[in-house]
Amino acid sequence: MVELVPTLLRQELARLAESDSRLDGRGRFEAREITLETDCLYNAEGSAKVTMGKTIVYAGVKFEIRTPWPDRPAEGSLMCGAELRPVAHRKYEPGPPSPESIELGRVVDRGIRESGCIDMAGLCIVPGEKVWGVMIDIHVLSDGGNIFDACGLAAIAALRTAIVPAERFDVGEDYTLKVQSTPIMASFTRVGGRYVYDPSEEEELGGEERIHITIGDEGHLHSLQKGLRGVFTPAEFTEIFKVAQERCGELRTMVSNQEGN
Amino acid sequence: MGGYGDIKLLREDGLRLDGRKIDEMRPVSIEVGILPAADGSAMVTQGLNVAVAAVYGPMEAHPRKIQRQDRAVIDVRYNMAPFSTSDRIRPGYNRRSREISKVTAEALESVVLVERFPRSKIRVEIEILAAEAGTRCAGLTAAAMALADAGIPMRDLIVGVASGKVENIVVLDLDKAEDNYGQADLPVGILPNTGEIAFLQMDGDLSPEEFDLAMEYNFKAAGEIHEIMVEALKKKYEGGEN
Repeated sequence: MVELVPTLLRQELARLAESDSRLDGRGRFEAREITLETDCLYNAEGSAKVTMGKTIVYAGVKFEIRTPWPDRPAEGSLMCGAELRPVAHRKYEPGPPSPESIELGRVVDRGIRESGCIDMAGLCIVPGEKVWGVMIDIHVLSDGGNIFDACGLAAIAALRTAIVPAERFDVGEDYTLKVQSTPIMASFTRVGGRYVYDPSEEEELGGEERIHITIGDEGHLHSLQKGLRGVFTPAEFTEIFKVAQERCGELRTMVSNQEGN
Repeated sequence: MGGYGDIKLLREDGLRLDGRKIDEMRPVSIEVGILPAADGSAMVTQGLNVAVAAVYGPMEAHPRKIQRQDRAVIDVRYNMAPFSTSDRIRPGYNRRSREISKVTAEALESVVLVERFPRSKIRVEIEILAAEAGTRCAGLTAAAMALADAGIPMRDLIVGVASGKVENIVVLDLDKAEDNYGQADLPVGILPNTGEIAFLQMDGDLSPEEFDLAMEYNFKAAGEIHEIMVEALKKKYEGGEN
């Protein structure tokens, strides 16, 4: 479904940008309230629910035993997918996965995969024959803006609580999946000419291109993505990268505090 | 429903494996207005089942060929999340979810005053987040609650409930083991105020007497769940939160 972008909304966003304010009164790099809940889905081996403003996302981790890829006979595998089902917003329609949902799943996947937080060799059961496949499925239930960050956070939080169900598959005792780091995503959208952090639904509707940055424990970049039509300058990137560094640190603390409970 | 004779589903003391009595349902809790993006929404938990429903519309019905000149159509999608079951489910529609979606839509069209919205469509999205037998019933209850939450005029609510048979005994609200190894399952959608039935499926083996008893249990449970439904709506609309 094509969303009509109200000209009035764009004008209002541009006007607010002049005084560096936002529709909901937030500062330019201020986040909405976030809640994180883990171990909240009965049949998933690891799970998390994230709410960010009006956005609600669940992630669930499942395991399966599969034959390894021929070029990596002693390594397990990881797959992360996101579904933008029509439950999440009136703009989403039923049908095969849309380019938007594929992009979303792949950007989250890259951040987790490239951070190296999962020891793939540790997921080998019998070299060349049996390895664990780890599947993270992200389910967006309510799209109130910035689903990328919500999905990224739900995915890593779910993964960090996952138990490998070895007993059910008759290959030993259950054990906690070893996740060595906590990659976190921070997303920015150009609204009224400048980038803002954690865009709301209205800001995405009346905004332009977006940038997603995933940062690991050491402050290194693990995934970048520019989406939608628009261009940015290196100076603009430097500015939001600095904000992302700080924000990802806060969210990482939030994930570890959740685990401490 | 094979009736595996060697699996014990009832204990020596006559209670069920999870400690419930024969005519006792799993605990139910209901909340409405849980999804900010939707026009109406609800979450129903019944035992370990978690069903979420969202309603969008009434809106323009497209593609055009689904339009009805004299009434709204209700477009239902029942979907199980990949992580909702013990073995991961591949995302996407399958024969089971298509059938459940169809009969659920027809049940809801029986209570919604669809004549009020000619040529339009009301979208009902049912997402099962955790499945332990009885998800079509939890989903149906959630859908009815989400429609009510969206302010869509209805003749009555619908309560989804099921009874079945294990070890030749009729029991209310089968759990997963009872569903897998039991002898019958009778899910129905009951209009709590009129006592009419808008949804009916069954599989297994029931004598006429057993059917009557299963229905009696279903009506009893529908009454109990209806009270929880009314409380959930009151909580939102009678000056509680919101």
